[in-house]
Formats: sequence, C-alpha cells, structure tokens
Amino acid sequence: MAPHTPQRSERPGEAEALLDAADLIALEGVGKRYRTASGDVDAVRDVSLRVAEGEFCTIIGPSGCGKSTLLGMLGGLVAPDTGQVLIAGRPVAGPDPRRAATVFQDPGLFPWRSALENIAFGLEIQGVAAARRRAAAHELLGPLGLRAFADKYPRELSGGMRQRVAIGRALAIDAPIILMDEPFGALDEQTRTLMGEWLLDIWRRTGRTVIFVTHSLHEALALSTRVVVMTARPGRIKSVVELPMPYPRAMESPELVTLRAKLWSEIRDESLRAMQP
Amino acid sequence: MSVALVRLGLLAALLAAWEIAARAGNPALYVPPSAALPALGALLALRSYPTLPAHFLLTLREVVAAYALAVAAGLAVGFGLGLNRTLGRAYGPILAALYAVPAVVWYPSLMLFFGLDAASKIAFGFLLGFFPITLAVLAGMRQVSAHLVTVARAFGAGPVTVFVKVMLPGMLFTLVGGLRTGLALSVIGVIVGEILGSKAGMGSLITHAYGLLRTADYVALVVVTLALIVGCDGAASLLERRAARWTA
Repeated sequence: MAPHTPQRSERPGEAEALLDAADLIALEGVGKRYRTASGDVDAVRDVSLRVAEGEFCTIIGPSGCGKSTLLGMLGGLVAPDTGQVLIAGRPVAGPDPRRAATVFQDPGLFPWRSALENIAFGLEIQGVAAARRRAAAHELLGPLGLRAFADKYPRELSGGMRQRVAIGRALAIDAPIILMDEPFGALDEQTRTLMGEWLLDIWRRTGRTVIFVTHSLHEALALSTRVVVMTARPGRIKSVVELPMPYPRAMESPELVTLRAKLWSEIRDESLRAMQP
Repeated sequence: MSVALVRLGLLAALLAAWEIAARAGNPALYVPPSAALPALGALLALRSYPTLPAHFLLTLREVVAAYALAVAAGLAVGFGLGLNRTLGRAYGPILAALYAVPAVVWYPSLMLFFGLDAASKIAFGFLLGFFPITLAVLAGMRQVSAHLVTVARAFGAGPVTVFVKVMLPGMLFTLVGGLRTGLALSVIGVIVGEILGSKAGMGSLITHAYGLLRTADYVALVVVTLALIVGCDGAASLLERRAARWTA
C-alpha cells in the first residue's frame, strides 16, 4: 500500500470487498504479440506488476514500448497472449466498466452529445435512469470546472475542457480504477501542468486507483506514488520507483531532482535503443 | 430575408426572359408565361383536365410505394453489406458500378415484367431510389470513427448499443442525405416511367397534352408536377436540417 492514505468516496459493499484484496490489480507474466504485414511484433513480454488500491501508478517509457497495450489489457480491450490480468482477484475477460474506466489520449467525445450527455454516457450504457444520470453528471461539473459548459458541444470546448469531459465520463461510472492513456499528451505545456494539478486534486478527493501512461517525466514525478519504467520493444519492466513524497511536490527539491536524473538516464537509454533499427 | 429577395428577383427575371423569348418565337411552341398562367388556372379549376386529382393522387401513391420499397431495401442491403466485411467487399463495388449505369436502360424490361400500370412505375422509382440510399449507408458506416466505437466498448457497450448509440448518430448526416437523394430519384423514376408509357398519372397527362400540342396545358401540368417534386424535396430537406443540427 502506498504510504499516503487518500480519502475514499463512500461506496459501501463493493469498496469493502475490494479493500480485502491485497492488490487491486495484478499483471502476471503478461505478453502480447501483434501480427503485422512485416512480421510479428512483440509489444509486451513477461510483464508482472501489482498495484494496490488508491495508488497513482505511472507507466513511462519510449514510444512503442507497449504502454498502451498494457492499459488496453487492464481495460479489457486487448487480450493478452500469455499470462493473466487480475482485478480484485478475478481475471479480466473484456471491458468491465464496473471495475475500470478508461481515458484516452484522444478524448473521444461523441460530437452529437453535449458535455453533460457525454459525461453521462457510461451511466446511460449501464441503464441508469435519465434523471439520475443527469443528476450524477451535474454533480461532477463543479469539480471538473465545467459548470458553465454543461450544454456545450465538444466542438465548442477547448482541448483541456474536452479532456476534462472525458475524465468526467470516466469518473461518473464510479469504477474503482481509472486508466489514463496519455490523457494530456495533446495539450500545450501550461494546460498540461494545470490539468495535472487538477487531476491530483480529484484523485486525492475520490481515492480512485489510477494507472497513468505518459511520456512526461514532469507529470510522472509530480503526480505518482509509483513510477514504472518500461524498456524499448518488446516492452518489459525496467525499474520501479516509489515516490513517498507528500503533495503538492516541490519539483526543485534535491530529492526529486536526483530522482528525475535517475529516471531520465533510464528512459534515455531505452529511447535510444528504441530508435535503433 | 435578402436570400428570399434575391430568389424573387431571379424568378422575375427568368419569367421576363421567358416571356420575351416566347413572343419572339412561335408562341404555340414556346408558351409564354402570359399564356401558361391562364392554362394553369384552367387546370387547377379542373376545366382542362377534370380528372387531374385522380392522376395526381395516383402519382403520389406510386412515389410513396416506390420510396418506401427503396428505403426498406436500401437500408437492409446497405447495413447488410456494411456490417458484414466479406459481403461488403464482394458486392459493394458491383453496386457502385451498377449505379453508374443510366437506369433508364432497364425501363423497357420493367414494362415487360410489370406491365403498363402502376407496378412498372413503382419498380422504376424503386430502382432509382435504392442505389443512393444503399451507397449512403455504406459511406456513412465507413465514416463512423473507430475510436468512438472503442470508447463505447470500453464503457461496456455491446454490439447493439454500439450500433444505436455510436454508428447511427455518427452516420446520420450522410444517411439522411442519401435518403433525400433517394426520394428525389424515386420521384423522378415514377414520373419518367409515366411519361415513357402509361395510361394514368401526371406523366401520362403530360404526354397527352404534349402529343396534342396543347403546349400551354402541358406547361401547366409540368408546373403541378414540379410542385409535387418540390414538396417532396422540401419535406426531405426539413428532415435533413434537423439531422444536421443534431450531429454536426
């Protein structure tokens, strides 16, 4: 368990059942190979990782190291060729919004739905009555900073707002795990930093377990309780770094500066390897 | 407002040009508006063709039947080919090639199959309306973002939910455009069918007036037929605008 204890939202029953499990997420020797026209590609090979409830676990590594594949496996969108993926002790057989919600790099908002209707999408799929899902989505608008934008359509929103809607859509279904695949990758630097601070606040208030894929060392160091560095393809775990420092973090503290240098040298090595033919 | 004014001006200019051109030529052949308007009045007062309402209704019924068949078959074939990859690859290109054939070449055989009555007109209207609807369904389905489908699946949507909540709204604009084109072509098919050979319907009246060189009556009949076509298209465009507001 991570050294800090974020507040958990009130979700009796399911939450308690999950707390009993030692690790909420367990990847056990998972591997994935894709068939392409120019031969098979090992995207991920023999990855084992355990994540406790309430963690903010960041996966970082060079392009094409299988980070997204790992996230896809956790979300049930990608079936591993070897090994197994367990959430709360049960194998993942397909997308299951009661266990994990995904935020993609491309927000993937439905252009014909307003911000509010997009946030309520997952609840709609689950058959929640219209009045209840509207109320639930409405409640999220405040924390999302979208109170004045409930009835706007995605084309009327900025990039950061769109991604907040996508995050709201993931939060709305109350899944204990949020999977985030480079959610701020398409945003400019300033928006990105602010969105990171905002996400940190949301995470600490809701106590969800977050698996976060990023290219940004800054994001990894500012947000995570743990950073997992992946190797170049085939993606394996190179190292795991615990970050017990309290939030908000002083990025210039000697501790973080040293960690940053260490992480960078590891990622640099792998990125160089990834660039080799 | 200004658009309406421009349209009105264009209409007036066209009518004026028509009047001048017709008077300069042979007014019996080039009916000027000053002769066509009284003929239209006589037609609408049921003096020149007392059976006009029956013919008009028959044409309308043929259009409705042809279009209903075209929509049903177009949607069924389009979605069938779109949802089944193998079928789509096998038959999609053939459909597109058939669409390029001038459909009127099929009409003689339709008359042989279905006779001179309404059935052959319905068949021809169906044939013309079917292709744009089918092809719009196919194009629309290709247009739906694969990413949005993935997102819906990640939130637990099954195939039916993905179809209803992602595919249909995602392709709606293209689909409605195809439905509108299909309607216009179904109307054209029915009327062309009637003109080429029939005993009743607006097309048959047009042929009759034209054959007897009753050119002013002929122009009046064309105007009434145009009103039918424009009415159909107007209804379709209302639908299209609603869809556009919803999806764009």
